[in-house]
Amino acid sequence: MLKYLINRLFWMVPLLVGISLISFLIMHLAPGDITATEASFNPKTSEESRQKLRELYNLDKPVIVQYGLWLKRMSTLNFGHSFASHQSPVFWQETDKEGNVTKGMIQEALPITLLINVLSLILIIGLALPLGVISALTQNKLPDRSITIFVFIGFAIPSFWLALMLMYWTGVSHNWLPISGLHTLGAEKLSAFAQLLDTLKHLTLPILISGLTGLAGISLFVRNGMLDVLHQDYITTARAKGLPENTVVYKHALRNALLPLITIFGLSIPGLIGGSVIAESIFAIPGMGKLFYDAVLMRDFPVIMGILTIGSALTLIGNLLADLAYAWADPRVRKGVSQ
Amino acid sequence: MVNQPKSMMKKLNRLIGISITILLISCGQQKNDPTANLNQPYPSQSGGALVDAMSGEPSGLIAMMAGESSASAIASNIFNSLLKYDKNLELTGELAQSWDVSSDQKTITFHLKPNLKWADGHALTSDDVLFTWKTVTDDKTRSPYGADYKLVKKAEAPNPSTFKVTYEAPYAPALDSWSGLHILPKHLLQGQDINNTSFSRNPVGSHYYQLDQWKKGESITLKRNPNGTQGQAKIDRLISRIIPDRAAQFLELMADNIDSMSLNSIQYARIFPARPDLTAKIAQYKELGNSYTYLGFNLKRKPFDDVRVRQAINYAIDKQEIIDGVLLGLGLPVASPYKPGTRWSNPKLQPYPYDPQKAIALLKEAGFEDHDHDGILDKDGKPLSFEILTNQNKEREMSAVLVQRRLKEIGIDVKIRVVEWATFISRFIKTGDFNVVLLGWGLGLEPDQFNIWHSSQQAPGQFNFIGYHNTHVDQLLEAGRLELNPDKRMKIYHEFAEVLLADSPVVYLFAGYGLPAINKRVNGIDDPAPPAGIGHNSYEWYIPAPLRRNEMSAE
Repeated sequence: MLKYLINRLFWMVPLLVGISLISFLIMHLAPGDITATEASFNPKTSEESRQKLRELYNLDKPVIVQYGLWLKRMSTLNFGHSFASHQSPVFWQETDKEGNVTKGMIQEALPITLLINVLSLILIIGLALPLGVISALTQNKLPDRSITIFVFIGFAIPSFWLALMLMYWTGVSHNWLPISGLHTLGAEKLSAFAQLLDTLKHLTLPILISGLTGLAGISLFVRNGMLDVLHQDYITTARAKGLPENTVVYKHALRNALLPLITIFGLSIPGLIGGSVIAESIFAIPGMGKLFYDAVLMRDFPVIMGILTIGSALTLIGNLLADLAYAWADPRVRKGVSQ
Repeated sequence: MVNQPKSMMKKLNRLIGISITILLISCGQQKNDPTANLNQPYPSQSGGALVDAMSGEPSGLIAMMAGESSASAIASNIFNSLLKYDKNLELTGELAQSWDVSSDQKTITFHLKPNLKWADGHALTSDDVLFTWKTVTDDKTRSPYGADYKLVKKAEAPNPSTFKVTYEAPYAPALDSWSGLHILPKHLLQGQDINNTSFSRNPVGSHYYQLDQWKKGESITLKRNPNGTQGQAKIDRLISRIIPDRAAQFLELMADNIDSMSLNSIQYARIFPARPDLTAKIAQYKELGNSYTYLGFNLKRKPFDDVRVRQAINYAIDKQEIIDGVLLGLGLPVASPYKPGTRWSNPKLQPYPYDPQKAIALLKEAGFEDHDHDGILDKDGKPLSFEILTNQNKEREMSAVLVQRRLKEIGIDVKIRVVEWATFISRFIKTGDFNVVLLGWGLGLEPDQFNIWHSSQQAPGQFNFIGYHNTHVDQLLEAGRLELNPDKRMKIYHEFAEVLLADSPVVYLFAGYGLPAINKRVNGIDDPAPPAGIGHNSYEWYIPAPLRRNEMSAE
């Protein structure tokens, strides 16, 4: 088992380098660089100063040389500094010689995105499990049909539109929830508990919207997994033994039906750090989605590469964790690995 | 087992019910606000906080390094320049009390106002100005704005209240350039690397306000600077919330969580008039924006090298139709690249009227007729057909469609291509690989537009990418740069605009209005707006105590 783990970890390194090389090349295939932004299209700026900037950022060198420089820097885990955002560190905070701390861009955006995504994942699982099970048990009957229609409406409804409607309804028509942002102005004067409540109120709609969109996938997955298992022989055997229906469904069927979900969760780990650009823009949340989107528009290469690298590393780790969890949960897989 | 699905179903029905209700509420009832007292007059008094919304977050507050509009919007409340534009867009002193131009027009001497102070109490002297000039012209400074200041041959600070710059040759845009350079404190920045100093996130300036709190990604709060060089502003605190989405900003405005935002034309001309509850508490303003939208021809390509073709297209486009259709009437046609109503705009010039017959006649003169009767004009067997290229901008895309339709009517086949900005610049503008572009330029406060129209500015990356070359215009642009006397300069630029209009290298489409909406609790705003816009006296705006928002009113 340990050998398997080391082997997997070892192969992650060339895989990561390969992914980063491809991302780097694709990113540089897009025309333009940091000097071709809308702000730089200003007759008060000069081509010489733009050229100077290109040289300072090594953008005048061949792409492969730039990649080499990036790889060299990354090998010391140095994510570099943003081109567009006044030389802010991309990943983690830095302290200058006067002791002023400059926070990293990912460091600031990540926690809030992580919080929203984890909460909405919990919401999704909390709703998708019962919905999926009910669907499977009432296959093709009214509850199943209604649930399916409901989750597909949630999936198909344009989330920005629903978000705006809910913001109008809960924020303008009724003063129930704040409309956008993360904190009420002056919230720092409140007690810690009131501040927490304030933040939760601000997060309600974003989590609800992202939960509703994600519900369809997982609940249908649970439903189908459940249906597969319910038709297995051992379920018939269990029923024939005279076990109570609840034991059959929840102990024998559900546990087995949940196995494939492990893979899904493994795959959703990198998704946890990626925010939705649309939701973050509408709700004015300074998260990862907006950070990445702005970086792409500004051709802020160090930020793009930083986020892509962390994302791909997490994808690989997520896959590994999923495989390990699978092996832990399913003896058949475990046996296969140790052989 | 049977019961559980039923109770789930009930929940589900309720959820579906709620979502349907939401669908139906497109125009729900407003809660009643006590707006009755908003319209009575209040005496001017200081205090309170104004909350506005901005779509982007500044990367830093040193404007010469940052470049985004959000950065200069905030920084211009914190920093002073030597000069500024007054409400009629005439140059006047800000830190400088007065300035003299030497008789050979090469040396400008600025006399600073007495007893200037930084927000931290240090004296602000000509040494700081000199330091700022050295910083912006330093080769290590990653600023794209150095070019104007590098023309200064010698800069000196002979005494604490005098700053003197000498140019190689007379350079008229110099005065404007000194209105755009925020003076930075030497005592805080000396020895620091301007490119990544923490000063940009924690600045100390000299204007009405100073930074109070910057919550990354959420809001920037400014508080009044007791040492302000220009006096004391009435409003205590300015809070700018970062809300990227315009629709979300509008909801916040409706819910009274922000006091001001800039509207788009639909919000201004359609939603507001239909909602008396909004007009009761929010005032709408209209000020001419700082840019115009144009259709520019690639003059190096046929048939756009023929002035008759350019004029014909100009006659064939109905500008008022575009203003009505795209901006819902909230714009002005322009006939020169200067703001109507200011000194530089030539009042005699009129835009090309909409005259399709004249357009057809001109094209016929240029040899374009529908010889093969396919509905499209042609010359030497080639149809008159081209592509309008623009970037992802709703106003520009919609304008392009209206242009396409009008040109089709006179027999020109137009296709539209919309590309992302960076691609647009690198792939098409820099390489000169385009026929016609639909873009915008600034309506300059400084009349010098050498970089845009002079024939020497056509290299890749320079701004005369349409390839305009007119010896007369070149001469006028050169003369305008050498003349510091405003009245003589005015004549030069009036003539320049006249030649440009006749030559029609671009078709001026419109200049749009900026549409600020401000809660009526804010008093003292000039309406109608002067040429400089309503913000020119924002330090005199005030919020009467009874109308102030309670702190934490949302809870």
